[in-house]
Amino acid sequence: METALGLSGYQATMMILVFFVLGLGIAALFAALFLPARWKLPYSMEFVFVGLLIVLVWYGDKRSTEIFTAYQEPLANAEGEVLETTSAETEGAFDREIRVLAFQWGFAFFNDEDAISRNAAVVKPGEKVLFRIFANDVIHGFNIPVAGITAEFEPGRERALWIRAPEKPGKYLIQCLNYCGVGHAQMKAWLVVEGAEA
Amino acid sequence: MASPHDAVRMGGTPHWEREDVIGKMTLSTLLFSNHYRHIAIKGMLTSVVMLGLGGLMAMLFRTELAVPDIQFFDARPYMSLMTLHGMLMVFGFVIPLVISIMYYMIPKVLGTEELLWARGAQWSYWTLILAAVLLVISRPDFTWTFYPPMSLRVGGELVWMGYLAVTLVAISEFIAGAVLFRNGWAAAKKTGWSKLPLMGWGAISEGILLVGSTPILGLVGIYMFTDWLEVTAMFDPARGGDVMTFMFMFWFYGHPAVYLPLMPAIAILYTLMPRFLGRPIWSYWSAVTAFSILTVLAFIVYPHHFQPAETVSGPLERATQILTLMIFIPSTLHVFNWIASLWYDVIPVSAKRAVPFKFIIASIFFLMLGGVTAYVNAQIATDSDFVHNTYFVPAHFHAMFVGFMANMAMAGVYYLYPYFTGRMYNQTMGNLHFWCWQIGIFTKVMMMYYLGYVYFPRWVVDYLDLPQWSTAQLTLTGGAYLIGLGFIIFVINIMLSANRGREFSGDPWAIEHEGNTGAAATPAE
Repeated sequence: METALGLSGYQATMMILVFFVLGLGIAALFAALFLPARWKLPYSMEFVFVGLLIVLVWYGDKRSTEIFTAYQEPLANAEGEVLETTSAETEGAFDREIRVLAFQWGFAFFNDEDAISRNAAVVKPGEKVLFRIFANDVIHGFNIPVAGITAEFEPGRERALWIRAPEKPGKYLIQCLNYCGVGHAQMKAWLVVEGAEA
Repeated sequence: MASPHDAVRMGGTPHWEREDVIGKMTLSTLLFSNHYRHIAIKGMLTSVVMLGLGGLMAMLFRTELAVPDIQFFDARPYMSLMTLHGMLMVFGFVIPLVISIMYYMIPKVLGTEELLWARGAQWSYWTLILAAVLLVISRPDFTWTFYPPMSLRVGGELVWMGYLAVTLVAISEFIAGAVLFRNGWAAAKKTGWSKLPLMGWGAISEGILLVGSTPILGLVGIYMFTDWLEVTAMFDPARGGDVMTFMFMFWFYGHPAVYLPLMPAIAILYTLMPRFLGRPIWSYWSAVTAFSILTVLAFIVYPHHFQPAETVSGPLERATQILTLMIFIPSTLHVFNWIASLWYDVIPVSAKRAVPFKFIIASIFFLMLGGVTAYVNAQIATDSDFVHNTYFVPAHFHAMFVGFMANMAMAGVYYLYPYFTGRMYNQTMGNLHFWCWQIGIFTKVMMMYYLGYVYFPRWVVDYLDLPQWSTAQLTLTGGAYLIGLGFIIFVINIMLSANRGREFSGDPWAIEHEGNTGAAATPAE
């Protein structure tokens, strides 16, 4: 499925790139150790090498920024909605908005009708869901593995995240990723995509 | 063949005449002598004890984590074990060990003949011991990053000792930094900057990092204490404080802290590699450049530790991302330099069989394994997806701390061992230790990377029985046991060999090539 940041492809590209570079490094180390041929590298090689590294830095920064900016754009528009400055094209950007109170040690989810659920955020398949997360005790984290999104937020400040709900009905894990006290391990909830058996 | 210029830059040979330094040490010299070898040996022995304690804690909580559900520990004792493990390993084992090895080598390599400000090193040691005692008594359960306000609301009534211990750690490290900077600076004045051995550059870099970052950590400890007493409200938002103030202050130390054992480990590598290869490093200036850039970047990239927070956004977020990605460059320059040094001439057989040299090679391997993933960690997009606070982060720093720094520290200990005991360690046991560690560390790190990739959260005593989590956790625990076994073999080896090890004459690390013995070599008895 599509992750929140649309990263499935990019993640894979990054991991392949990283382990390819690692493979080259290990190959060079083993060659230096075990190949009978000896080779004194000219110093100019290092400049070529640094050039390649700069390209990697440039690529990583560019792609990461593009992806994250694209992810944040609907959130900025959602802020506009709250401020009643919504333009026609941003209206209805999200199918559902859920307010989340994170506390030691659990999550409470409030839907549009202010109904509260202690453990479950109920959504429909494929919906674009906006979470407005708030805590007033300690720093918590909010992670939905199936959606590929994680964030931490400090007490007293609201944090907005959005995801595309899975198409397949079921229960998907929501967890705190920031150590928030001895009950941290139990700070879990479920993203329930309707159609799932209770 | 080294040019005279190269020979000066390699510094003096870290070689001492055969002597049973430990055997001649009395309790009084062990505790209070200001001779550099005594201070260094005391630091190394204490670090090994800390490694044992921290490792034992790791064994305990890894046993708990081997399978889902709670087996032996509730959350609070589990978190105390984990917090103490992290703090003892970082503040008590790896940083003091590599610094102690530097204390031992600096007078010979930099030609200062003695450790300048040795009294400072003594004070640094005892302050750290006091910090460790307070820390263990306080049994903190707030992780080594002790984010407030959580850390102000957990722990028993002695938790305040933990806050004071943080300040004492800062004082200890500040003094150690001043000692290293003083020695590096004195050597630079004596030899000139262009001929300063790389150990000197390492000492200066480490000194700048320690002296520059630790005062802020000291303040953090004091403010935590006064916040806990409710005298101040610096970090507690419920009383008007600001968590982000803590974040910026703590990570101003917390990120350079990663480089505190890194710089000495690199400096030791640059000292030992030419010693085993019998030739200078491939590029002196590349190493100096990499040291300098790393030192500067270490101070300014720390916001990446709390990057997906709302308060780090816009230009600061982008600048942090670019600068963090750039750390890749100087780190890789070091690796490039080492591989080029290995490649440009024959590797002596004496190096191939030397246990410390094997640890050096393993260190380079793990620096690459840990370093490459920094490229993923640094990017806000991937960080906001699967990296932040999953096992991907401890995978990265275990590859660096254990794979690179602890391996390099072991290389230093094995190298110095014959010089302070007058005997060689047992080669078979040394090899066994080496392989237990490398297989164990590799297993552990790779399982951690995988667990991070499948969103396993940090700091949990219990977890869901998901197949992608439980199998990897069990394997990871197996890797940790192997590291523990390696440590036991190491301790038995150094204890037995101190009395029963082979005696040697001349240079225990003399260069020997296939079929002939190098000029500097003196056959061992």
